[in-house]
Amino acid sequence: MTSVTRRKFLRGAAATLLTTAALAGCSVGPSGSGGGEAITFLTFETPNLTPAYWDAAIKRVTDKHPEIKVTKLVAPSADGRTAYAKQLLQSGQFPDVLVGVSPAGFAEAGELYAWQPDDLKDFQFPTANPIQGKYFQLPANTQTIPPIYYNKKLFQAAGVTGEPKTWDELLAAAEKLKAAGTTPFVIGGGKDGFASSMILAGIVSTDLYGDRKDWLSKRREDKVKFTDPEFVVALEKFGNLAERGYIDKNNVSRDYAATEQAFLDGQGAMYPMGNWFAASADSKQHDFEIGVFNFPTQDGKLVVPAYTGGGMIVSANAKNQSAARKFALAFQLDKEQLDQSVKADGLFPAIKGYQPPADTGPVFKAGYELYQKAVQENAVVNAFRWETADDGLLPGMADKIDAAAQDLVTGRKNAAEVATYLDAEWTKAS
Amino acid sequence: MTERLPWLRPIVALVLSALFFVPLYLVPANVFKPGDQISASPASPPWPPTLDNITAVLSRPDNLFWVSLANSVIVTAVSVVVLTVLSAMLGHYLARSRSPWATALTLVLLAGLMIPPQVILIPVTEVLKATELMATVPGLVLFNVGYYVPFGVFVFTGFIRGIPIELEEAAFLDGARRTQVFWRVVFPLLRPASASVLIFLGVWIWNDFINPLVILGPGRGTTVTTGVYRSIGQYQTDFGSVFALMFLATLPVLVFYLALQKHFVKGLTGGATKG
Amino acid sequence: MTTHTELPAGRAPTAPGGGRTTGTPPARRRRRGAIRDRLAHFGIFAAPGVLTYACFVVAPIVLSVYYSLTNANPFRPPRRWVGLDNYTALVQDPEFLTALRVTTILTLIVVIVPNVGGLLVALLLDKRGRFYNAMRSVFFTPVILSSVVVSVIWTRLLDVDGPLNRALRALGVDDPPAWLSDPDFALYSVASIISWQMIGFCVVVYLAGLQGVPVELQEAAALDGAGPVRRFRAVTWPLLAPALTINTVVLLISAFKTYDYIKVITNGGPGAGTTATIAFNVLQTGLDGNHVGYASAMAVLMLVIVGVATAVALKILRGREVDL
Repeated sequence: MTSVTRRKFLRGAAATLLTTAALAGCSVGPSGSGGGEAITFLTFETPNLTPAYWDAAIKRVTDKHPEIKVTKLVAPSADGRTAYAKQLLQSGQFPDVLVGVSPAGFAEAGELYAWQPDDLKDFQFPTANPIQGKYFQLPANTQTIPPIYYNKKLFQAAGVTGEPKTWDELLAAAEKLKAAGTTPFVIGGGKDGFASSMILAGIVSTDLYGDRKDWLSKRREDKVKFTDPEFVVALEKFGNLAERGYIDKNNVSRDYAATEQAFLDGQGAMYPMGNWFAASADSKQHDFEIGVFNFPTQDGKLVVPAYTGGGMIVSANAKNQSAARKFALAFQLDKEQLDQSVKADGLFPAIKGYQPPADTGPVFKAGYELYQKAVQENAVVNAFRWETADDGLLPGMADKIDAAAQDLVTGRKNAAEVATYLDAEWTKAS
Repeated sequence: MTERLPWLRPIVALVLSALFFVPLYLVPANVFKPGDQISASPASPPWPPTLDNITAVLSRPDNLFWVSLANSVIVTAVSVVVLTVLSAMLGHYLARSRSPWATALTLVLLAGLMIPPQVILIPVTEVLKATELMATVPGLVLFNVGYYVPFGVFVFTGFIRGIPIELEEAAFLDGARRTQVFWRVVFPLLRPASASVLIFLGVWIWNDFINPLVILGPGRGTTVTTGVYRSIGQYQTDFGSVFALMFLATLPVLVFYLALQKHFVKGLTGGATKG
Repeated sequence: MTTHTELPAGRAPTAPGGGRTTGTPPARRRRRGAIRDRLAHFGIFAAPGVLTYACFVVAPIVLSVYYSLTNANPFRPPRRWVGLDNYTALVQDPEFLTALRVTTILTLIVVIVPNVGGLLVALLLDKRGRFYNAMRSVFFTPVILSSVVVSVIWTRLLDVDGPLNRALRALGVDDPPAWLSDPDFALYSVASIISWQMIGFCVVVYLAGLQGVPVELQEAAALDGAGPVRRFRAVTWPLLAPALTINTVVLLISAFKTYDYIKVITNGGPGAGTTATIAFNVLQTGLDGNHVGYASAMAVLMLVIVGVATAVALKILRGREVDL
């Protein structure tokens, strides 16, 4: 390299640097938060919950309370949002308000504000998710996890009539579907591990919680273990589906969105998923009718797993805590916001006197009816893996359940080995 | 030397690079294809091409791309300039010093070349918290400087040892001060080494993922790399937008590379042949 | 700059000051001047770099070692000293042992495959001309891409119904593997992706090494009747020793810190830890989980392993260079 070209290069490099620095100087930065009532709010983005959805929701609140200045933060991945909140706590950037983040762990460490009875008076289930007798997360909505959505066209083609209610009926339907060349169950996984463990969550919730609602509380007291026969049986039931070829083990690395798309494309007959799928079912293109039934139980008894919570948590150390609380409650109780959350994310708002808008889609309506009926018959139990309080898994264990489900699907481990693994991870997590 | 089959080599080379290039081809093929065709035919050529994906990303209401670009440009530019200056001076000091302390210091610094960022990331957040630099651009820049200074020192000391000391001594004889000698006599001679440091650290810092993800936090917005990561979640099935964002995020560094290709290779091989 | 010290005429900048035995006032003054001068030299030239390094690399390592001896957990304050408990738990933890195995396999593949592939490609492209330059650029382009971008591209490519498997089916493979879902394949798929990205680096380094091989030596060997293979083994390969050293050490170090690819492509799965490297587990346990003490012990062990592996590799490879 001659010195002339060298000089030319350096001049070029300097010019590039200067230009980029100048560009950077005049380009748009994130809007800063100024003023006395500034708060930070951690959201997450999914295909249903877009940046525009959050911006509009925040604006509805700040239009009513113009003194609150909200800086929206976004978790880098939806599924990892609770883990990300831990990371922010660890690095000293814990937000003032967080939505959809599990309070377990944060609450015990004294990081969260405990909602008072007066704060909770408008909520249908003010005592959902107790942690050490207090309530840290607004019980904003209910999700049934998982009902089974199904492709009516594929059911008909395989000669499956009626919706399965018992486990045997489900297996019979799956067998017919498989014989007709259809993959009976659609599952996913990859970075969205919950898409692997949906069926397992359904089995544990209906089988175990149907009789012993407090099974996980007992696990916390070490009175039961994952290696106990009742849990191993549930694991076996799940592993069995994979062994019989009702689940395609090649799909455990498929992310959530692709999984949903696969069902909508007719690549499988039954899709056990949280009822938020109804929003996609009613809005996204597909060329068949979608039905929904409750997750079948062993003997056909009505047991409907659901999780109520999912709302805002507020940092105990928020600089403007009253503003943070005001924002959280206003956000959560705003009628327009509730309607939007129904339409965009298929949620069942758990607010006293709230009725979903009349123009919701048929899949949402069908799922909502199933849930209302379960409430009337007092058949609702916790949704295993999704609990966020003292009656749930230890912090960090949900990921292990997902991994365990994947191991069962791929046949890498059998039920007994998975149970041992879960007990070992439980010990580490506690 | 002659080859028996002179036509064989270019053909093998062409076939191999074509195979090698397939994954890269996916990017333009999907960026300029309408989003709804991507999952059905990911590998088909984008015909007729569309700019919809690019405009969709550029006109996002939250300015994700522009905020990310601004952050990446500031962090990369400032880090790289500071790193070049600091490590050139430090490299000169170590290369010219004969004391055992300097040798020991060189070893300690070079050991830094092999430290995985994961080992120090959690305590680094503690250091930044203590200095109130957590979640700020200066905090990330300072971390970059500390973490990458060993690479700069590695390149510069090697290079400086190859420059005769007499040049500097002659300047001292003329009564010049040490800093003057360094800036007027030595630094201009270090251009090839400075070029490698600028280029390599520029590319690394631009592409960095976990450090900006943790240190910059969510408040300041993302860098282009963490922006791509975040957009995977939101777009999920909308691969047109993900690919468009990846394309735009890579474009600056690709242009940088194509313009300075020769120096990239020089920088690499300078290190390779001198060890 | 605050202190300007004129250097004594005729003295090299780093030469030490006056002798020990001289005690006369002018000599002492000169010595004090020399010390001040050396401090100023250090302060201006070395201190800024050394201090940032100390703050952001050395101090964190010390902190990591300290945390690893405690039960640090932001969810369970206060922090308590636990001695070597974390380490003894770690060496019995199947999760860690799996991660160790995963990291070892991944590192071996990522050190060997791009090295061998890079050498072959470099031998193929070791010709002048625009054509070969263009080919080199093709191989080098992945090196400058972000690992996140590479991961997203390959996740699409290796999808069960992605372009690769479609091509395989078109070629008559009925049941192509689920590259990322099958626990028997996932780790090798990830290792291949990293190898693909790193191969261009090795190509360029080997090409530079090849350019340093004197043509006369090759020709002399050819005149002695040595075929291409013997010429390579006797002449070229020994002279490529420095390039091999660089490639191996760079690949070794970058393979050990594999995190981004795992995070984006497999998230450690399928199943429990089939692709989780130690680097991945450190951050999962420490940042995303909350067991900082335990994660720090993992990090410290990882540092020791990287250090030893690098030192051993350097010793062996440098030894080859000296033997020439």
